[in-house]
Amino acid sequence: MAESVVLTTEKRDTRGTRTARKLRAAGRVPGVVYGHKEETVSVSVGADDLLSAVRHGARVVDLQSENDLQKAQIAELQWDHLGIEVLHVDFRRVAADERIHVTIPVEIKGIAPGVSAGGVLDQPIHTLAIECLAVNVPDSIRVNINELQLGSAIHVRDLQLPPDVTALVDPDAIVVHVTSPQAEPEAGAIPGGEQAEPEVIGRKAAVEEGEEEK
Amino acid sequence: MPLMPKRVKFRKTQRGKVRGNALRGNTVSHGDFGLQSLEGGWLSAEAIEAGRITATHSVRGEGRLYIRVFPHKSVTSIPAETRMGKGKGEPEFWAAVIKPGMILYEIGGLPEAAARDALARVAYKMPFRCRFVARRPTVG
Repeated sequence: MAESVVLTTEKRDTRGTRTARKLRAAGRVPGVVYGHKEETVSVSVGADDLLSAVRHGARVVDLQSENDLQKAQIAELQWDHLGIEVLHVDFRRVAADERIHVTIPVEIKGIAPGVSAGGVLDQPIHTLAIECLAVNVPDSIRVNINELQLGSAIHVRDLQLPPDVTALVDPDAIVVHVTSPQAEPEAGAIPGGEQAEPEVIGRKAAVEEGEEEK
Repeated sequence: MPLMPKRVKFRKTQRGKVRGNALRGNTVSHGDFGLQSLEGGWLSAEAIEAGRITATHSVRGEGRLYIRVFPHKSVTSIPAETRMGKGKGEPEFWAAVIKPGMILYEIGGLPEAAARDALARVAYKMPFRCRFVARRPTVG
């Protein structure tokens, strides 16, 4: 579980693209705090503090404003097109005893014997949606693959979740499995690449109609 | 033969312009690491195939490679020493329209060093600048 992170917020009264850009240039990220049927408040937080918290796996943070301290979940982050800077952040107010829905990463630990036997490790699920207490959000779900043989899989139902944590995805979904390596297609043997030119939709019908008219 | 659509509604397309940045297809979603385009342009089916061959040779059967782009656009050209007129040329090759930020290839099931090495080799085959990226931290 990540330690509680305190982010200092400043209330912002101005809105719009221009002021948001000025804020970002000054090293702050525009954001919004909402939830619990209270007033929606536009705020800004320090970009470095926010990025540091996110990279260390913080899901629920303490927002320190001028008057009070409130607990909030980082609900959404908007990134720039290259994924380098955070453009905007959404905070959702939560109570300490409230159960929330969060997405946490799935970490794979160990070396699968199936990989040593020539298989390929495939992980269809990288993040897991869970329901847990706001104060007890796990950093990640660790999956031990030390006994994963070629052709076998670990499903969501096999995961060892911490107490009070429930998975919100299909229990039969595959988290990680070891598959046989795909035969490398030779150049020119790509599926769908056998034909010299694509079929044109409607052309064949038009040609046939033309022949009937003749 | 390189990638191309199986069925199309029209054989020839207008050239268009690559405007703006990638707002979709700019996150690593299948594998662990990806190759991100930093510039916009056309990526020909031959270049996609060259990247695929380079990556598969580099990883030598380990890990999984995902190609995130597909050449949907036909590019036409008229033969050399042809007089003006007589309509649009014939499709010469197929290309994917790439915007800055798009993820071109992804690799999963490999350690970072091996993935970085493989995708660096692929980047040499690309007609524009690329960078190695990992998954973004998850929130929400």
